[in-house]
Amino acid sequence: MKRADFPFLGFGVGLRRPHYSHIVERRPKVDWFEVVSENFMVAGGRAIEVLEDVRAHYPIVLHGVSMSLGSTDPLNRDYLKKLRDLAKRFDPAWISDHLCWTGVGGRNLHDLLPLPYTEEALSHVVTRIRRVQDTLERPMLIENVSSYLAFADSTMTEWEFIAEIAEQADCGILLDINNIFVSAFNHRFDPNEYLDAIPVERVVQYHLAGHSDHGTHLLDTHDHPVRDEVWALYERAIRRFGAVSALVEWDDNIPEFAVLMETADRARQIYDAAARTPTEQSLDANSTERTGKPALPADHRA
Amino acid sequence: MPTPLKELESLLYRLITAPSGVGEGLASERNLPRTGLGAIVLGDERLSAEERADIYANMYFYRLLDALKEDFPATRKVLGDDAFHNLVTGYLIEYPPTQPSVAECGRFLSRYLRDHPQSVDAPYLADLAALERATVEVFQGPDANALSAEAMRAIPADQWPALKLRLHPCVQVLDVEWRVADLLRAVEEGRDWQPAARGAAKIVVSRRSGRVRYRELEQSEYRAIDAARTGATFANICDLVAEHSGALDPVAELNRLLARWLSDAIFIV
Repeated sequence: MKRADFPFLGFGVGLRRPHYSHIVERRPKVDWFEVVSENFMVAGGRAIEVLEDVRAHYPIVLHGVSMSLGSTDPLNRDYLKKLRDLAKRFDPAWISDHLCWTGVGGRNLHDLLPLPYTEEALSHVVTRIRRVQDTLERPMLIENVSSYLAFADSTMTEWEFIAEIAEQADCGILLDINNIFVSAFNHRFDPNEYLDAIPVERVVQYHLAGHSDHGTHLLDTHDHPVRDEVWALYERAIRRFGAVSALVEWDDNIPEFAVLMETADRARQIYDAAARTPTEQSLDANSTERTGKPALPADHRA
Repeated sequence: MPTPLKELESLLYRLITAPSGVGEGLASERNLPRTGLGAIVLGDERLSAEERADIYANMYFYRLLDALKEDFPATRKVLGDDAFHNLVTGYLIEYPPTQPSVAECGRFLSRYLRDHPQSVDAPYLADLAALERATVEVFQGPDANALSAEAMRAIPADQWPALKLRLHPCVQVLDVEWRVADLLRAVEEGRDWQPAARGAAKIVVSRRSGRVRYRELEQSEYRAIDAARTGATFANICDLVAEHSGALDPVAELNRLLARWLSDAIFIV
Protein backbone atom coordinates (compact mmCIF):
# COMPACT_ATOMS: atom_id res chain seq x y z
CA MET A 1 0.00 0.00 0.00
CA LYS A 2 1.29 3.43 -0.97
CA ARG A 3 -0.27 6.84 -0.60
CA ALA A 4 -0.31 7.14 -4.37
CA ASP A 5 -2.84 4.28 -4.39
CA PHE A 6 -5.37 6.74 -2.99
CA PRO A 7 -6.66 9.96 -4.58
CA PHE A 8 -5.74 13.34 -3.13
CA LEU A 9 -9.14 14.72 -2.11
CA GLY A 10 -8.08 18.16 -0.94
CA PHE A 11 -9.57 19.81 2.15
CA GLY A 12 -12.82 18.46 3.53
CA VAL A 13 -15.11 18.54 6.53
CA GLY A 14 -17.05 15.98 8.54
CA LEU A 15 -20.66 15.40 7.53
CA ARG A 16 -22.76 16.15 10.63
CA ARG A 17 -26.53 16.16 11.12
CA PRO A 18 -26.97 19.91 11.89
CA HIS A 19 -25.58 20.68 8.43
CA TYR A 20 -27.58 18.15 6.39
CA SER A 21 -30.11 20.64 5.06
CA HIS A 22 -27.50 23.30 4.32
CA ILE A 23 -25.38 20.86 2.34
CA VAL A 24 -28.26 19.34 0.40
CA GLU A 25 -29.84 22.70 -0.41
CA ARG A 26 -26.77 24.89 -0.94
CA ARG A 27 -24.09 22.51 -2.26
CA PRO A 28 -21.25 24.35 -0.51
CA LYS A 29 -17.87 24.41 -2.21
CA VAL A 30 -16.17 21.77 -0.10
CA ASP A 31 -13.71 19.31 -1.60
CA TRP A 32 -15.01 16.23 0.21
CA PHE A 33 -16.84 14.86 3.24
CA GLU A 34 -15.88 12.35 5.87
CA VAL A 35 -18.79 10.24 7.08
CA VAL A 36 -18.98 8.45 10.44
CA SER A 37 -19.67 4.89 9.27
CA GLU A 38 -21.85 3.85 12.22
CA ASN A 39 -24.26 6.75 11.67
CA PHE A 40 -25.16 5.27 8.31
CA MET A 41 -25.31 1.58 9.21
CA VAL A 42 -29.06 1.95 9.43
CA ALA A 43 -31.87 0.47 7.38
CA GLY A 44 -33.02 3.75 5.88
CA GLY A 45 -34.44 7.17 6.59
CA ARG A 46 -33.14 10.71 6.40
CA ALA A 47 -29.47 9.86 7.00
CA ILE A 48 -29.30 7.46 4.06
CA GLU A 49 -31.23 9.88 1.87
CA VAL A 50 -28.76 12.65 2.71
CA LEU A 51 -25.74 10.43 2.13
CA GLU A 52 -27.04 9.41 -1.29
CA ASP A 53 -27.41 13.07 -2.18
CA VAL A 54 -24.01 14.04 -0.79
CA ARG A 55 -22.28 11.16 -2.53
CA ALA A 56 -23.79 12.18 -5.85
CA HIS A 57 -22.02 15.53 -5.58
CA TYR A 58 -18.88 15.01 -3.48
CA PRO A 59 -16.21 12.40 -2.79
CA ILE A 60 -16.63 10.76 0.63
CA VAL A 61 -14.60 8.57 2.95
CA LEU A 62 -16.00 6.29 5.65
CA HIS A 63 -14.58 6.83 9.12
CA GLY A 64 -15.53 4.37 11.85
CA VAL A 65 -15.42 4.55 15.63
CA SER A 66 -16.41 1.01 16.63
CA MET A 67 -14.24 -1.48 14.76
CA SER A 68 -12.32 -2.00 18.00
CA LEU A 69 -9.18 -3.21 16.28
CA GLY A 70 -7.36 -3.59 19.58
CA SER A 71 -10.04 -5.49 21.47
CA THR A 72 -9.41 -9.05 22.55
CA ASP A 73 -13.03 -9.84 21.64
CA PRO A 74 -13.49 -11.52 18.26
CA LEU A 75 -13.93 -9.12 15.37
CA ASN A 76 -17.60 -8.24 14.97
CA ARG A 77 -18.51 -10.02 11.71
CA ASP A 78 -21.93 -8.40 11.51
CA TYR A 79 -20.37 -4.95 11.86
CA LEU A 80 -17.81 -5.68 9.17
CA LYS A 81 -20.47 -6.99 6.81
CA LYS A 82 -22.50 -3.83 7.30
CA LEU A 83 -19.40 -1.73 6.69
CA ARG A 84 -18.57 -3.67 3.54
CA ASP A 85 -22.14 -3.24 2.29
CA LEU A 86 -22.02 0.48 3.06
CA ALA A 87 -18.76 0.80 1.14
CA LYS A 88 -20.15 -1.11 -1.83
CA ARG A 89 -23.18 1.16 -1.91
CA PHE A 90 -21.41 4.51 -1.49
CA ASP A 91 -17.95 3.84 -2.95
CA PRO A 92 -15.82 5.85 -0.51
CA ALA A 93 -12.29 6.87 -1.47
CA TRP A 94 -11.14 4.88 1.58
CA ILE A 95 -12.22 3.48 4.95
CA SER A 96 -10.60 4.32 8.27
CA ASP A 97 -10.93 3.52 11.95
CA HIS A 98 -8.91 4.00 15.10
CA LEU A 99 -5.90 2.26 16.55
CA CYS A 100 -7.61 1.49 19.83
CA TRP A 101 -10.10 -0.77 21.55
CA THR A 102 -13.66 0.28 22.31
CA GLY A 103 -14.94 -2.61 24.40
CA VAL A 104 -14.38 -6.10 25.72
CA GLY A 105 -16.48 -9.02 26.92
CA GLY A 106 -19.24 -8.17 24.46
CA ARG A 107 -19.67 -4.70 25.97
CA ASN A 108 -19.02 -1.40 24.24
CA LEU A 109 -17.56 1.65 25.99
CA HIS A 110 -18.19 3.95 23.02
CA ASP A 111 -14.79 5.45 23.65
CA LEU A 112 -11.39 5.11 22.00
CA LEU A 113 -9.07 3.46 24.51
CA PRO A 114 -5.33 3.24 24.01
CA LEU A 115 -3.40 0.01 23.80
CA PRO A 116 -0.20 -0.93 25.58
CA TYR A 117 2.62 -0.62 23.06
CA THR A 118 3.79 -4.21 23.39
CA GLU A 119 4.71 -7.01 20.99
CA GLU A 120 1.53 -8.84 22.02
CA ALA A 121 -0.70 -5.89 21.15
CA LEU A 122 1.19 -5.22 17.95
CA SER A 123 0.85 -8.78 16.70
CA HIS A 124 -2.82 -8.89 17.75
CA VAL A 125 -3.72 -5.67 15.92
CA VAL A 126 -1.75 -6.54 12.78
CA THR A 127 -3.60 -9.85 12.49
CA ARG A 128 -6.95 -8.14 12.90
CA ILE A 129 -6.24 -5.36 10.40
CA ARG A 130 -5.26 -7.95 7.83
CA ARG A 131 -8.54 -9.81 8.45
CA VAL A 132 -10.51 -6.59 8.18
CA GLN A 133 -8.80 -5.66 4.93
CA ASP A 134 -9.53 -9.12 3.54
CA THR A 135 -13.19 -8.74 4.49
CA LEU A 136 -13.48 -5.24 3.10
CA GLU A 137 -11.44 -6.23 0.06
CA ARG A 138 -9.43 -3.02 0.27
CA PRO A 139 -6.67 -1.48 2.38
CA MET A 140 -7.80 0.63 5.32
CA LEU A 141 -6.32 3.51 7.29
CA ILE A 142 -5.70 3.48 11.02
CA GLU A 143 -5.88 6.66 13.08
CA ASN A 144 -3.81 7.57 16.12
CA VAL A 145 -6.08 8.40 19.07
CA SER A 146 -5.78 11.01 21.80
CA SER A 147 -4.97 9.31 25.08
CA TYR A 148 -5.09 10.21 28.73
CA LEU A 149 -3.30 7.20 30.14
CA ALA A 150 -0.28 5.12 29.19
CA PHE A 151 0.69 1.64 30.25
CA ALA A 152 3.68 0.59 32.31
CA ASP A 153 4.09 -2.51 30.11
CA SER A 154 4.73 -0.53 26.91
CA THR A 155 8.07 -1.39 25.34
CA MET A 156 7.93 1.08 22.47
CA THR A 157 6.65 4.57 21.77
CA GLU A 158 3.27 5.25 20.21
CA TRP A 159 4.90 6.38 16.97
CA GLU A 160 7.02 3.23 16.78
CA PHE A 161 3.90 1.18 17.46
CA ILE A 162 1.72 2.76 14.77
CA ALA A 163 4.52 2.83 12.21
CA GLU A 164 5.29 -0.86 12.76
CA ILE A 165 1.62 -1.84 12.60
CA ALA A 166 1.15 0.05 9.33
CA GLU A 167 4.19 -1.67 7.83
CA GLN A 168 3.30 -5.18 9.01
CA ALA A 169 -0.43 -4.91 8.21
CA ASP A 170 0.27 -3.00 5.01
CA CYS A 171 -2.34 -0.37 5.79
CA GLY A 172 -2.43 3.41 5.58
CA ILE A 173 -2.31 5.97 8.37
CA LEU A 174 -4.83 8.67 9.15
CA LEU A 175 -2.68 11.06 11.09
CA ASP A 176 -4.72 13.11 13.53
CA ILE A 177 -2.58 16.19 14.10
CA ASN A 178 -4.66 17.35 17.06
CA ASN A 179 -4.45 13.91 18.67
CA ILE A 180 -0.66 14.00 18.44
CA PHE A 181 -0.65 17.41 20.09
CA VAL A 182 -3.07 16.34 22.84
CA SER A 183 -1.22 13.11 23.62
CA ALA A 184 2.15 14.88 23.50
CA PHE A 185 0.95 17.24 26.23
CA ASN A 186 -0.69 14.47 28.27
CA HIS A 187 2.33 12.16 28.12
CA ARG A 188 5.11 14.74 27.76
CA PHE A 189 6.63 13.78 24.47
CA ASP A 190 7.80 15.88 21.57
CA PRO A 191 5.14 15.92 18.82
CA ASN A 192 7.82 16.65 16.25
CA GLU A 193 9.57 13.42 17.15
CA TYR A 194 6.27 11.64 16.52
CA LEU A 195 5.87 13.19 13.07
CA ASP A 196 9.46 12.43 12.14
CA ALA A 197 9.02 8.72 12.88
CA ILE A 198 5.91 8.14 10.78
CA PRO A 199 6.62 6.56 7.37
CA VAL A 200 5.83 9.17 4.72
CA GLU A 201 4.32 6.79 2.19
CA ARG A 202 1.77 5.47 4.69
CA VAL A 203 0.07 8.78 5.51
CA VAL A 204 -3.10 9.20 3.44
CA GLN A 205 -5.17 11.62 5.51
CA TYR A 206 -4.94 14.22 8.28
CA HIS A 207 -7.50 15.12 10.89
CA LEU A 208 -7.63 18.65 12.26
CA ALA A 209 -9.77 19.43 15.29
CA GLY A 210 -10.03 21.49 18.45
CA HIS A 211 -9.44 20.35 22.01
CA SER A 212 -10.12 21.67 25.49
CA ASP A 213 -7.54 22.51 28.12
CA HIS A 214 -8.22 21.12 31.60
CA GLY A 215 -4.98 22.32 33.13
CA THR A 216 -3.64 18.93 34.08
CA HIS A 217 -4.49 17.48 30.70
CA LEU A 218 -5.92 18.25 27.28
CA LEU A 219 -9.14 16.61 26.14
CA ASP A 220 -9.84 15.83 22.52
CA THR A 221 -13.34 17.30 22.55
CA HIS A 222 -13.75 18.46 18.93
CA ASP A 223 -15.73 21.41 20.25
CA HIS A 224 -13.30 24.28 19.73
CA PRO A 225 -11.51 25.88 16.80
CA VAL A 226 -8.19 24.32 15.85
CA ARG A 227 -5.52 25.83 18.12
CA ASP A 228 -2.56 27.71 16.70
CA GLU A 229 -0.12 25.11 18.02
CA VAL A 230 -1.99 22.43 16.10
CA TRP A 231 -1.91 24.54 12.94
CA ALA A 232 1.84 24.86 13.40
CA LEU A 233 2.17 21.10 13.75
CA TYR A 234 0.03 20.68 10.65
CA GLU A 235 2.34 22.94 8.69
CA ARG A 236 5.29 20.88 9.85
CA ALA A 237 3.46 17.70 8.82
CA ILE A 238 2.89 19.13 5.32
CA ARG A 239 6.62 19.74 5.01
CA ARG A 240 7.34 16.15 5.91
CA PHE A 241 4.50 14.28 4.24
CA GLY A 242 3.62 16.45 1.26
CA ALA A 243 0.17 16.45 -0.28
CA VAL A 244 -2.15 14.66 2.10
CA SER A 245 -5.94 15.04 2.15
CA ALA A 246 -6.99 17.00 5.23
CA LEU A 247 -10.26 16.90 7.13
CA VAL A 248 -11.76 19.24 9.73
CA GLU A 249 -13.63 17.44 12.55
CA TRP A 250 -16.16 19.22 14.75
CA ASP A 251 -18.50 17.07 16.85
CA ASP A 252 -19.75 19.19 19.73
CA ASN A 253 -20.88 22.80 19.92
CA ILE A 254 -21.04 22.45 16.17
CA PRO A 255 -20.88 25.91 14.55
CA GLU A 256 -22.41 27.20 11.34
CA PHE A 257 -21.19 25.38 8.27
CA ALA A 258 -19.33 28.52 7.17
CA VAL A 259 -16.98 28.14 10.15
CA LEU A 260 -16.04 24.64 9.05
CA MET A 261 -15.46 25.86 5.51
CA GLU A 262 -13.24 28.67 6.80
CA THR A 263 -11.23 26.11 8.77
CA ALA A 264 -10.87 23.86 5.72
CA ASP A 265 -9.82 26.92 3.70
CA ARG A 266 -7.19 27.75 6.29
CA ALA A 267 -5.85 24.21 5.94
CA ARG A 268 -5.68 24.76 2.20
CA GLN A 269 -3.94 28.12 2.58
CA ILE A 270 -1.31 26.66 4.88
CA TYR A 271 -0.78 23.87 2.40
CA ASP A 272 -0.48 26.31 -0.50
CA ALA A 273 1.98 28.49 1.39
CA ALA A 274 4.09 25.47 2.30
CA ALA A 275 3.98 24.36 -1.34
CA ARG A 276 5.63 27.63 -2.37
CA THR A 277 8.59 27.22 -0.04
CA PRO A 278 11.37 24.63 0.01
CA THR A 279 10.41 21.56 1.98
CA GLU A 280 12.15 18.52 3.36
CA GLN A 281 9.71 16.39 1.37
CA SER A 282 8.73 17.45 -2.12
CA LEU A 283 5.05 18.24 -2.04
CA ASP A 284 4.37 16.52 -5.31
CA ALA A 285 6.77 13.66 -4.82
CA ASN A 286 4.09 10.98 -5.02
CA SER A 287 1.96 12.13 -7.87
CA THR A 288 1.91 14.81 -10.49
CA GLU A 289 -1.70 15.40 -9.43
CA ARG A 290 -0.69 16.52 -5.95
CA THR A 291 -0.55 20.22 -6.55
CA GLY A 292 -3.11 21.38 -4.02
CA LYS A 293 -5.93 20.98 -6.49
CA PRO A 294 -7.71 17.73 -5.77
CA ALA A 295 -8.68 15.29 -8.46
CA LEU A 296 -12.45 15.35 -8.30
CA PRO A 297 -15.35 13.88 -10.22
CA ALA A 298 -16.45 16.03 -13.13
CA ASP A 299 -19.75 16.86 -11.47
CA HIS A 300 -18.24 17.79 -8.11
CA ARG A 301 -18.97 21.49 -8.32
CA ALA A 302 -22.19 21.08 -10.29
CA MET B 1 5.87 -10.17 33.09
CA PRO B 2 3.49 -7.88 31.16
CA THR B 3 -0.20 -8.05 31.94
CA PRO B 4 -1.94 -10.04 29.17
CA LEU B 5 -3.93 -7.76 26.88
CA LYS B 6 -7.27 -9.41 27.61
CA GLU B 7 -6.72 -9.05 31.35
CA LEU B 8 -5.70 -5.42 30.93
CA GLU B 9 -8.75 -4.55 28.87
CA SER B 10 -11.10 -6.38 31.24
CA LEU B 11 -9.65 -4.56 34.23
CA LEU B 12 -9.98 -1.16 32.59
CA TYR B 13 -13.51 -1.96 31.51
CA ARG B 14 -14.51 -2.79 35.07
CA LEU B 15 -12.89 0.37 36.43
CA ILE B 16 -14.35 2.67 33.79
CA THR B 17 -17.88 1.33 34.25
CA ALA B 18 -17.78 1.11 38.06
CA PRO B 19 -20.98 2.92 39.17
CA SER B 20 -19.30 5.25 41.67
CA GLY B 21 -16.04 5.81 39.85
CA VAL B 22 -12.66 4.24 39.46
CA GLY B 23 -11.80 4.53 43.18
CA GLU B 24 -14.72 2.33 44.15
CA GLY B 25 -13.90 -0.04 41.32
CA LEU B 26 -10.32 -0.35 42.51
CA ALA B 27 -11.46 -1.18 46.03
CA SER B 28 -13.25 -4.25 44.76
CA GLU B 29 -10.36 -5.51 42.63
CA ARG B 30 -8.73 -8.49 44.31
CA ASN B 31 -5.94 -9.30 41.85
CA LEU B 32 -4.22 -5.94 41.46
CA PRO B 33 -0.46 -5.80 42.15
CA ARG B 34 0.42 -4.61 45.65
CA THR B 35 1.45 -1.25 44.23
CA GLY B 36 -2.06 -0.80 42.85
CA LEU B 37 -3.16 0.59 39.51
CA GLY B 38 0.12 2.50 39.25
CA ALA B 39 1.85 -0.77 38.41
CA ILE B 40 -0.26 -0.98 35.26
CA VAL B 41 -1.15 2.60 34.33
CA LEU B 42 1.49 5.31 34.50
CA GLY B 43 0.76 8.28 36.73
CA ASP B 44 2.75 11.44 37.26
CA GLU B 45 2.71 14.60 39.38
CA ARG B 46 -0.10 16.05 37.28
CA LEU B 47 -2.45 13.06 37.34
CA SER B 48 -2.31 9.77 39.20
CA ALA B 49 -3.05 6.49 37.48
CA GLU B 50 -6.49 6.50 39.08
CA GLU B 51 -7.23 10.05 37.95
CA ARG B 52 -6.22 9.14 34.41
CA ALA B 53 -8.57 6.16 34.40
CA ASP B 54 -11.26 8.43 35.85
CA ILE B 55 -11.06 10.64 32.75
CA TYR B 56 -12.26 7.66 30.72
CA ALA B 57 -14.91 6.78 33.30
CA ASN B 58 -16.36 10.28 33.06
CA MET B 59 -16.27 10.28 29.29
CA TYR B 60 -18.01 6.88 29.20
CA PHE B 61 -20.87 8.00 31.40
CA TYR B 62 -21.39 11.48 30.01
CA ARG B 63 -21.22 10.40 26.37
CA LEU B 64 -24.02 7.89 27.00
CA LEU B 65 -25.95 10.33 29.19
CA ASP B 66 -25.84 12.88 26.36
CA ALA B 67 -26.99 10.28 23.83
CA LEU B 68 -29.90 9.25 26.07
CA LYS B 69 -30.85 12.89 26.75
CA GLU B 70 -31.09 13.43 23.02
CA ASP B 71 -33.22 10.34 22.43
CA PHE B 72 -35.48 10.72 25.50
CA PRO B 73 -36.17 14.45 25.90
CA ALA B 74 -39.64 13.95 27.37
CA THR B 75 -38.59 11.27 29.86
CA ARG B 76 -35.85 13.64 30.97
CA LYS B 77 -38.27 16.55 31.21
CA VAL B 78 -40.67 14.58 33.40
CA LEU B 79 -37.90 13.34 35.71
CA GLY B 80 -35.72 16.45 35.81
CA ASP B 81 -31.98 16.44 35.21
CA ASP B 82 -30.84 14.93 38.51
CA ALA B 83 -33.32 12.07 38.50
CA PHE B 84 -32.60 11.37 34.84
CA HIS B 85 -28.89 11.28 35.63
CA ASN B 86 -29.53 8.76 38.41
CA LEU B 87 -31.84 6.75 36.18
CA VAL B 88 -29.12 6.48 33.52
CA THR B 89 -26.55 5.45 36.15
CA GLY B 90 -28.70 2.49 37.12
CA TYR B 91 -29.75 1.73 33.57
CA LEU B 92 -26.16 1.44 32.33
CA ILE B 93 -25.37 -1.04 35.10
CA GLU B 94 -28.28 -3.24 34.10
CA TYR B 95 -28.09 -2.67 30.36
CA PRO B 96 -24.51 -1.74 29.41
CA PRO B 97 -24.07 -0.95 25.71
CA THR B 98 -23.26 -3.92 23.52
CA GLN B 99 -23.80 -2.54 20.03
CA PRO B 100 -21.35 -0.63 17.80
CA SER B 101 -23.77 2.28 17.37
CA VAL B 102 -24.34 4.57 20.33
CA ALA B 103 -27.88 5.08 19.00
CA GLU B 104 -28.68 1.59 20.32
CA CYS B 105 -27.85 2.41 23.93
CA GLY B 106 -31.44 3.42 24.75
CA ARG B 107 -33.03 0.28 23.39
CA PHE B 108 -34.01 -1.08 26.81
CA LEU B 109 -34.76 2.09 28.75
CA SER B 110 -38.52 1.54 28.61
CA ARG B 111 -38.13 -2.03 29.87
CA TYR B 112 -35.86 -0.79 32.67
CA LEU B 113 -38.43 1.83 33.66
CA ARG B 114 -41.28 -0.72 34.02
CA ASP B 115 -40.10 -1.77 37.47
CA HIS B 116 -38.14 1.34 38.41
CA PRO B 117 -39.03 3.28 41.58
CA GLN B 118 -39.44 6.44 39.48
CA SER B 119 -42.43 4.77 37.84
CA VAL B 120 -44.31 4.76 41.14
CA ASP B 121 -44.79 8.52 41.00
CA ALA B 122 -44.97 8.69 37.21
CA PRO B 123 -46.37 5.32 36.09
CA TYR B 124 -46.54 6.46 32.47
CA LEU B 125 -42.76 6.77 32.15
CA ALA B 126 -42.21 3.33 30.60
CA ASP B 127 -44.83 4.03 27.92
CA LEU B 128 -43.36 7.47 27.31
CA ALA B 129 -39.86 6.04 26.89
CA ALA B 130 -41.25 3.33 24.59
CA LEU B 131 -42.77 6.01 22.37
CA GLU B 132 -39.55 8.04 22.34
CA ARG B 133 -37.54 4.94 21.48
CA ALA B 134 -40.00 4.08 18.69
CA THR B 135 -39.46 7.52 17.14
CA VAL B 136 -35.71 6.82 17.07
CA GLU B 137 -36.20 3.41 15.44
CA VAL B 138 -38.72 4.67 12.91
CA PHE B 139 -36.43 7.58 12.02
CA GLN B 140 -33.78 5.12 10.84
CA GLY B 141 -36.11 2.29 9.82
CA PRO B 142 -36.21 0.66 6.38
CA ASP B 143 -37.10 2.67 3.30
CA ALA B 144 -40.00 1.78 0.99
CA ASN B 145 -42.26 3.74 -1.32
CA ALA B 146 -45.28 4.60 0.78
CA LEU B 147 -48.67 4.49 -0.86
CA SER B 148 -49.63 8.04 -1.73
CA ALA B 149 -52.98 9.51 -2.71
CA GLU B 150 -51.66 9.95 -6.22
CA ALA B 151 -50.53 6.32 -6.44
CA MET B 152 -53.85 5.15 -5.04
CA ARG B 153 -55.77 7.16 -7.64
CA ALA B 154 -53.65 5.63 -10.39
CA ILE B 155 -54.88 2.15 -9.48
CA PRO B 156 -58.03 1.27 -11.49
CA ALA B 157 -61.07 1.34 -9.23
CA ASP B 158 -62.04 -2.21 -10.09
CA GLN B 159 -58.73 -3.40 -8.61
CA TRP B 160 -59.19 -1.69 -5.25
CA PRO B 161 -61.25 -4.43 -3.56
CA ALA B 162 -58.52 -7.06 -4.09
CA LEU B 163 -55.71 -4.66 -3.27
CA LYS B 164 -53.53 -5.82 -0.40
CA LEU B 165 -52.31 -2.95 1.72
CA ARG B 166 -49.20 -3.77 3.73
CA LEU B 167 -47.70 -1.81 6.57
CA HIS B 168 -44.67 0.29 5.63
CA PRO B 169 -41.65 -1.62 7.03
CA CYS B 170 -40.61 1.27 9.28
CA VAL B 171 -44.05 1.72 10.88
CA GLN B 172 -44.54 0.71 14.52
CA VAL B 173 -47.79 0.40 16.43
CA LEU B 174 -47.40 0.70 20.19
CA ASP B 175 -49.80 -0.72 22.72
CA VAL B 176 -49.74 1.65 25.71
CA GLU B 177 -51.62 1.99 28.97
CA TRP B 178 -51.11 5.75 29.28
CA ARG B 179 -51.92 8.59 26.90
CA VAL B 180 -48.32 9.62 26.37
CA ALA B 181 -48.53 10.99 22.80
CA ASP B 182 -49.81 14.40 23.94
CA LEU B 183 -47.08 14.64 26.57
CA LEU B 184 -44.32 13.95 24.06
CA ARG B 185 -45.79 16.42 21.59
CA ALA B 186 -45.96 19.13 24.26
CA VAL B 187 -42.28 18.61 25.14
CA GLU B 188 -41.22 18.55 21.49
CA GLU B 189 -43.11 21.80 20.85
CA GLY B 190 -41.75 23.46 23.96
CA ARG B 191 -45.18 23.77 25.58
CA ASP B 192 -46.13 23.08 29.18
CA TRP B 193 -46.77 19.39 29.62
CA GLN B 194 -49.27 17.55 31.74
CA PRO B 195 -48.80 14.09 33.25
CA ALA B 196 -50.23 11.42 30.96
CA ALA B 197 -53.70 10.18 31.87
CA ARG B 198 -54.39 6.49 32.30
CA GLY B 199 -56.05 5.00 29.27
CA ALA B 200 -55.24 2.16 26.92
CA ALA B 201 -54.30 3.36 23.47
CA LYS B 202 -52.61 2.27 20.28
CA ILE B 203 -50.08 4.73 18.90
CA VAL B 204 -48.88 4.55 15.32
CA VAL B 205 -45.38 5.86 14.62
CA SER B 206 -44.53 6.45 10.97
CA ARG B 207 -42.21 8.49 8.80
CA ARG B 208 -42.90 10.75 5.89
CA SER B 209 -40.26 12.76 4.00
CA GLY B 210 -37.70 11.86 6.63
CA ARG B 211 -39.83 13.22 9.50
CA VAL B 212 -41.28 10.98 12.17
CA ARG B 213 -44.92 11.42 13.09
CA TYR B 214 -47.06 9.69 15.71
CA ARG B 215 -50.64 9.76 16.88
CA GLU B 216 -53.20 7.65 18.68
CA LEU B 217 -55.20 5.36 16.47
CA GLU B 218 -58.96 5.30 16.50
CA GLN B 219 -60.35 1.87 17.34
CA SER B 220 -61.63 1.16 13.84
CA GLU B 221 -58.44 2.18 12.11
CA TYR B 222 -56.40 0.07 14.52
CA ARG B 223 -58.49 -2.91 13.49
CA ALA B 224 -57.92 -2.02 9.85
CA ILE B 225 -54.15 -1.64 10.30
CA ASP B 226 -53.97 -4.84 12.29
CA ALA B 227 -55.83 -6.64 9.51
CA ALA B 228 -53.43 -5.23 6.93
CA ARG B 229 -50.57 -6.82 8.86
CA THR B 230 -52.05 -10.23 8.19
CA GLY B 231 -52.73 -9.71 4.50
CA ALA B 232 -56.29 -8.37 4.46
CA THR B 233 -57.57 -6.89 1.21
CA PHE B 234 -58.88 -3.37 0.81
CA ALA B 235 -62.40 -4.86 0.70
CA ASN B 236 -61.78 -6.58 4.07
CA ILE B 237 -60.56 -3.30 5.51
CA CYS B 238 -63.65 -1.48 4.23
CA ASP B 239 -65.84 -4.07 5.94
CA LEU B 240 -63.94 -3.68 9.22
CA VAL B 241 -64.30 0.09 9.18
CA ALA B 242 -68.01 -0.17 8.34
CA GLU B 243 -68.53 -2.66 11.16
CA HIS B 244 -66.53 -0.98 13.91
CA SER B 245 -66.52 2.76 13.27
CA GLY B 246 -70.16 3.29 14.14
CA ALA B 247 -70.23 6.01 11.48
CA LEU B 248 -73.55 6.91 9.90
CA ASP B 249 -71.81 7.22 6.55
CA PRO B 250 -69.23 4.40 6.30
CA VAL B 251 -68.00 5.56 2.89
CA ALA B 252 -67.23 9.05 4.16
CA GLU B 253 -65.59 7.51 7.21
CA LEU B 254 -63.42 5.28 5.07
CA ASN B 255 -62.42 8.23 2.90
CA ARG B 256 -61.44 10.18 6.02
CA LEU B 257 -59.34 7.34 7.40
CA LEU B 258 -57.75 6.52 4.06
CA ALA B 259 -56.69 10.15 3.68
CA ARG B 260 -55.01 9.98 7.11
CA TRP B 261 -53.24 6.72 6.34
CA LEU B 262 -51.92 8.03 3.06
CA SER B 263 -50.88 11.28 4.69
CA ASP B 264 -49.08 9.40 7.46
CA ALA B 265 -47.31 7.09 4.95
CA ILE B 266 -48.53 4.02 6.79
CA PHE B 267 -49.06 1.64 3.87
CA ILE B 268 -47.26 0.22 0.89
CA VAL B 269 -48.70 -2.07 -1.76
